[in-house]
Amino acid sequence: MKVTFKDVRLSYDGKTDTLKQLNFTIPDGALVSLLGPSGGGKTTTLNLISGLLPATSGQIFFGDTDVTKQDALQRKVGMVFQNYALYPHLSVRDNIAFPLKMQHVAKAERYQKAEELAKLVHVDDQLNKKPGELSGGQQQRVAIARALAKSPSLLLLDEPLSNLDARLRIEMREEIRRIQRETGVTTIFVTHDQDEALHISDAIMVLNDGRIQQFSTPTQLYDRPENLFVAKFIGEPVINTLPAEKLAADLTNHIDGDILVRAETAGIRSEAIVPNDYGQGVLTQIHASLHQAQKYGREATATLDYQGETLLSTELAGLPRDQSEGDFFLTRAGFFLFDNRGELIYGGDADDQ
Amino acid sequence: MINEKPTLKSTGKALLYLLPMLVITITFSIYPIINSLLMSFYKDYNFYTDKVGSWGLDNFVYLWNDPDFHLAVRNTLIFVAGVVPITVVLSLIIALLLNQTKWVSGLFRTVYFLPFVTSTVAIAMVWNWIYQPDYGLMNYFLGLVGVHPIDWLNDPHYSLLALIIMTIWKDLGFNIILFLVGLNNIDAGYYRAAEIDGANAWQRFWNVTIPMISPITFLVSVNGVIGSFKVFDQIFALFQGKPGPGKADLTIVYYLYEKFYTEYKYPIAAASGVVLFGLILLVTLVQLWYSRKHVHY
Repeated sequence: MKVTFKDVRLSYDGKTDTLKQLNFTIPDGALVSLLGPSGGGKTTTLNLISGLLPATSGQIFFGDTDVTKQDALQRKVGMVFQNYALYPHLSVRDNIAFPLKMQHVAKAERYQKAEELAKLVHVDDQLNKKPGELSGGQQQRVAIARALAKSPSLLLLDEPLSNLDARLRIEMREEIRRIQRETGVTTIFVTHDQDEALHISDAIMVLNDGRIQQFSTPTQLYDRPENLFVAKFIGEPVINTLPAEKLAADLTNHIDGDILVRAETAGIRSEAIVPNDYGQGVLTQIHASLHQAQKYGREATATLDYQGETLLSTELAGLPRDQSEGDFFLTRAGFFLFDNRGELIYGGDADDQ
Repeated sequence: MINEKPTLKSTGKALLYLLPMLVITITFSIYPIINSLLMSFYKDYNFYTDKVGSWGLDNFVYLWNDPDFHLAVRNTLIFVAGVVPITVVLSLIIALLLNQTKWVSGLFRTVYFLPFVTSTVAIAMVWNWIYQPDYGLMNYFLGLVGVHPIDWLNDPHYSLLALIIMTIWKDLGFNIILFLVGLNNIDAGYYRAAEIDGANAWQRFWNVTIPMISPITFLVSVNGVIGSFKVFDQIFALFQGKPGPGKADLTIVYYLYEKFYTEYKYPIAAASGVVLFGLILLVTLVQLWYSRKHVHY
């Protein structure tokens, strides 16, 4: 089901706005991530969708229905909580069947449905256990099954993977993607982990400071960040930023003068600094001294000193060790200029050219 | 230290640490318990010389045939059945209400807790006045709804009920505090999850609150059963040293007290104590068995 926010505002204390004028549409059947740092408004947005929190002003639509005034009971969404909130006194079977019990579905029927869902999330051999006897990953699966039990048109997941260890997290995010594809349910996924969001989402909404910073596909988010916050937030290692004026001399012949005048900050992705021009769309050449090179497993990073600014590159692995100074190239892809409000004014269109 | 193996020396050291408490427990609890159990089997006993002539089951046979003891058991059972369920339900309801209204709950918590820290004798004095047939508050309020004045403390039909009402009031405070602690320990996340799962307020109460608070309910009811079986001081204070009008408030402990202090039949008093112990044990075992299935920790 399509979810639309129209000028939604939320204030907990009536003075400061936690969420400011939220406008967006989540398309039917998509898996959308809400991504951002802690305190950015992700979970608050999710609670607004679920109905656990009423909006201070604005309207919320499910499909074409205005649900702004409805509470969580009436909205009938499925939700997976960060700590799963499985009922400790009920068996896995009863936990999954609980939403159906609340709808007074006959016992045999709801147990049959619970078993089907347990199969879908691969916990059908754990049905008689209590949640306390399950591992974190299994509890997570049970929580998803419970959320799906009433066949919701909307599935909300609030940081569902943050309590799992690294390997399980990767496994479970693939599982969530699989389950979402199999059921086709519109899914909204809250996370602070960009890796998670980039891997499983159809679209990502970056939230910070109660505002939508960018709402686009994962590729767009990385290749064309709309503002400095998104550029800095997305990508590992973090994008190199430096005052645009330091680069001015090296850019004058390559970028329009009026853009350069407005540019305040330059952002250079670590893979955009390369040792050779192989015709991969080079923007300009810079002269810098090599500072330090490190290698971690598959990754090799090197820091460059350019006019007193430190730049990090991941493309300098093959460089001779004794070379301490030289010319390096900046590629067009991964180079951005932002104005004094942090808005993107140059870059991000390398693919189009 | 964690993986230390027990040796003779370490066991001895542990025993040394335990010794002060062991001495106290053995002298004041274990020894009297064993002694009173033995005493219940004395057939022929001289209190002054502490000589036991012969042993036997005569004391229990006496109890079996004593109509006063039958009355005491009957009254005690009625008392327990009257006090415990109402106390549990009422204190849970009040705790739920207090949990809802945060701003006055501190005041009410104190108000409800007062009876618990007040001496039983003082409470009985106040209730004596409340139960006064002509000027008492109880009859005044009953009069408002058209009930004729009841002579609470002198009518054998009502005196046990009067005792039950006063005991419930006295027990409420402590149990409310226990329930409040239990309610506060329930993670709000379960209520949110239940709301998302489509449970309305009533369903959330039955499917989240009741099971999650069951350990406290169990504690309160076991505690209540044991305490109510041992009821004595309220009767003594409320009826000024008599077991109610026409023995209407004679309970097992009161019976034991009378046999011991007024009739000097020590072995019979001991035997009635053993019977009381057996009854409490039986009921507690039933509760324990029930809790296996219905209490979720």
